[in-house]
Amino acid sequence: MPHQRFPKIKIISSAPQEIQFILSDTDTSVANALRRIMIGETPTLAIDLVEFHENSTVLNDEYMAHRLGMIPIRYQAPDSFKGGDCNVAFLPHRECVCYDRCPRCSVEFELDVDFDQVNPTRADDEVLAPLTVTSRDLKSNNEGVEPAHFLNQDEQDESQDEGIAIVKMGPGQRLKFKAIARMGISKEHAKWCPVAVATYRFWPVITINEEQCSTLTMEQKMEIVDCCSDRILEIDEVTGNLQAVENAHELATFTEDLKFTQNAMKKNPEDDDFVTVVQSTDRFLFSVESTGAMDADEIVLSALRVLKERLNYLAQEVDNLKDL
Amino acid sequence: MNAPERASSFLLDEDIGEVKVTYSADTKVSNAGTFRFNKEDHTVANILRMQLLRDPMVRFAGYIHPHPLVHFFDFKIQTNSSTVAPQEVLSSAIEDLSNETDHLITAFTDALDDWKKENEKGVMGL
Repeated sequence: MPHQRFPKIKIISSAPQEIQFILSDTDTSVANALRRIMIGETPTLAIDLVEFHENSTVLNDEYMAHRLGMIPIRYQAPDSFKGGDCNVAFLPHRECVCYDRCPRCSVEFELDVDFDQVNPTRADDEVLAPLTVTSRDLKSNNEGVEPAHFLNQDEQDESQDEGIAIVKMGPGQRLKFKAIARMGISKEHAKWCPVAVATYRFWPVITINEEQCSTLTMEQKMEIVDCCSDRILEIDEVTGNLQAVENAHELATFTEDLKFTQNAMKKNPEDDDFVTVVQSTDRFLFSVESTGAMDADEIVLSALRVLKERLNYLAQEVDNLKDL
Repeated sequence: MNAPERASSFLLDEDIGEVKVTYSADTKVSNAGTFRFNKEDHTVANILRMQLLRDPMVRFAGYIHPHPLVHFFDFKIQTNSSTVAPQEVLSSAIEDLSNETDHLITAFTDALDDWKKENEKGVMGL
């Protein structure tokens, strides 16, 4: 079609919990739309209803229910080890045709912890300490769905807990409930947000004016190199010229200091700058960090699919307008 | 008491018969019309606007989101000539964006595969 753009993507680093990639040859509006969808409209699972049978802990029912809602819940497709997109396996509750709930639209978790029953099984040195009820005690009725106890393997190795702490109990206290998790989007409640951070930065364009730089002394060049806190410049050993560091583009976040220092050095205020750093308008460095509910690359793909569905829906509606 | 329903920012209100998009042609300006998109926000409005501005048949394209607590926006489009209706340019813009999103999905999956291949090579190289 006439005015389509053909954006490019290059992945810088990808781990289950964080992904960094460069999106180029497209507009800020597309980058912003992708960011907004990752934060607000990517569907995930989270506990939505809690039926308490017994709660004699120090936290009251609604407080506990709020905490349970915030636990990130991970869906794993039967054939994969990744935290995947739950949209393929579940329906939103309001679209499901079942009467109250069914395995297609919800997942049930059960928890039953009684301090007096668990205490005898604990190690001798722990018997007097409070018992921490963690997300490990939640038993799901769907094999592929489990709370995300840790963000990644490193956190699991370093932590002293066995999962996300829900409440600490003492003697005589008992907690028993059934929690129902449903699919939703973050626009409805922040518990359904799959990302901790989803941001993008503009790619910096660093130009070094060789002619102007040749009028500088070595001390002045050192001053320019030092004034930038990101350390994006260096002096070439052989030629003595100012040049950008190898990974300068990924380091540059704040470059206003360069302007001030150069203004002080210039003979006339209207001369050109020696080093200019401008923001590119069509190249973005994205950084997406997951909460553990989904793998970071799955979040980006899910957001793109949501955008596609939304555009298709709008296309249909606008077509209906034409017929009227 | 005054709190709106949680889902009211993105679900159409069927009790009042809300439709996603409505259109009203502009009486005072030629070849112009205003669309109202219900239960949408800047996410969709901005990409539509930027895409329409790339179309040479569009003379004016702008949107307004009147207040953060109301969940609709008004989108005004004016075309250059009476042969091209605002609905047509809007459809064409949405189609371009949809194709761009498809392209992005394939570009992303390809980039992921490339990255995995490169990193497996690195591990083998060690």
